[in-house]
Amino acid sequence: MLEFLLNTIIAMSKGVGYTVSLFVITIIFSMPLGLLCTFMSNGKNPVLRAITRAYVFVMRGTPLMLQLFFFYFGITKIPFIGQFLVMERFTAACVTFVLNYAAYFCEIFRGGLLSVDKGQYEASKVLGLTKWQTTVRIVLPQMFKVVLPSVSNEAITLVKDTALITAIGIMDLMHITKSLVNGSAGSIEPFIVAAVFYLMVTFGLTKLFNYLEKKFMF
Amino acid sequence: MINVCNIVKSFGENDVLKGVSFKVEKGQAISIIGSSGSGKSTILRSIVGLENVDGGSIYIDDEPLVENGIYVDDKTFRSRSLKMGMVFQHFNLFPHLTVRENLCLAPKCVLKRGKDVLNQRCEKLLEKVGLIDKIDAMPSSLSGGQKQRVAIARALMMEPEILLFDEPTSALDPELTGEVLSVMKELAAENMTMIIVTHEMSFAREVSDRVIFMDKGVVLVDDVPEKVLVNPENERIKSFLNKL
Ligand SMILES: Nc1ncnc2c1ncn2[C@@H]1O[C@H](COP(=O)(O)OP(=O)(O)OP(=O)(O)O)[C@@H](O)[C@H]1O
Ligand SMILES: [Mg+2]
Repeated sequence: MLEFLLNTIIAMSKGVGYTVSLFVITIIFSMPLGLLCTFMSNGKNPVLRAITRAYVFVMRGTPLMLQLFFFYFGITKIPFIGQFLVMERFTAACVTFVLNYAAYFCEIFRGGLLSVDKGQYEASKVLGLTKWQTTVRIVLPQMFKVVLPSVSNEAITLVKDTALITAIGIMDLMHITKSLVNGSAGSIEPFIVAAVFYLMVTFGLTKLFNYLEKKFMF
Repeated sequence: MINVCNIVKSFGENDVLKGVSFKVEKGQAISIIGSSGSGKSTILRSIVGLENVDGGSIYIDDEPLVENGIYVDDKTFRSRSLKMGMVFQHFNLFPHLTVRENLCLAPKCVLKRGKDVLNQRCEKLLEKVGLIDKIDAMPSSLSGGQKQRVAIARALMMEPEILLFDEPTSALDPELTGEVLSVMKELAAENMTMIIVTHEMSFAREVSDRVIFMDKGVVLVDDVPEKVLVNPENERIKSFLNKL
């Protein structure tokens, strides 16, 4: 019994690699991209503004699953250029997740930016700080404090969303779990092991963000 | 030292400044009074560049910031306006930084002062405003009066030659205005050049060399405090003072 459980865990740990990598890559790339979008959608250039607004609208308004299929299958069917856009499954998954999450982060950061009092910009300007110094040293830290709870929510949602990549045949945790359940005559242990894994990650993230929120309490 | 010459400013249809002129000599303290909406804040904000005027000229030490409605380039404006510090009604301290960091950030980033020099000056100024024990406190732990004194110290860190105050005590509980006003009196006694928008008439009378009475975007009277505040001849000033 114990041995069976151990074997299950070993088999599943191979899938954890994909799940965790996708999570880490998405977080690392989507946040800066989201921030860039925030500045573009608040910026002076009307073309950039329109593009970012449209991008956010599309990415938030369609299912992540659809986007995943689009970037893995759909994009290759585009006449002429499609053949150059063929991606590995996992690459396609990363592209989809980064683009999708960047759109959510863009909106979250935009809200955070609006919450920074205009007096902060005025004080900075009168003290002679440049726009860049004002943004980096005054505005962003205050913005991060405001958005932290929403970012925490997104991160936890992301952990669970990673399971979607099963749909394009990536051997992630969810995929392996499912095949183990199908294979070993109706046992449910793999489900429980997977659930415990997801719970551990989300628990860890909750703790991390609680810590950050305390640190950013001013 | 400051020469404001016929400045004009409107927000859409609303003509807020309709040709305002006055001068401030070095070492003088000038108070600006007047009813709400008369354009007092807009004047200060125009002088420091938070609003752009539509016409007129502003000179600092005979060097223009704007001349006949045409601004000097951004870099020149920035370097010339560094002679001015401003204290806001709502303090505008940086909430994520300690008192020390609030004071040191701009002189470090803008004036490129060294750490030791900054710390020394920071301690000296906090001593002066009576808040040396709060040097590592966060702004959120301070009272309004303490915040405003930190804001004054922060402005002084930039070694300004002129300080502008926009209703520095209006957001404070009455019992906290005294501590801020006494810091300002001390500055006036040291001959700091100051322009103060205020509703504190007895304070204005005590520290000002001149008092400017604004009404609907124009300077109605610009004279010594006795003439404006004690024995005003102008009917509008009389009714304004009676309403306080
Ligand atoms: N950013 C702005 N946009 C549009 N109108 C403005 C703006 N700032 C000020 N105003 C208008 O300009 C006029 C003068 O405002 P200002 O703040 O200079 O008055 P004030 O004399 O400082 O009044 P208070 O004593 O209430 O502070 C007001 O009618 C105000 O509504
Ligand atoms: Mg005002």
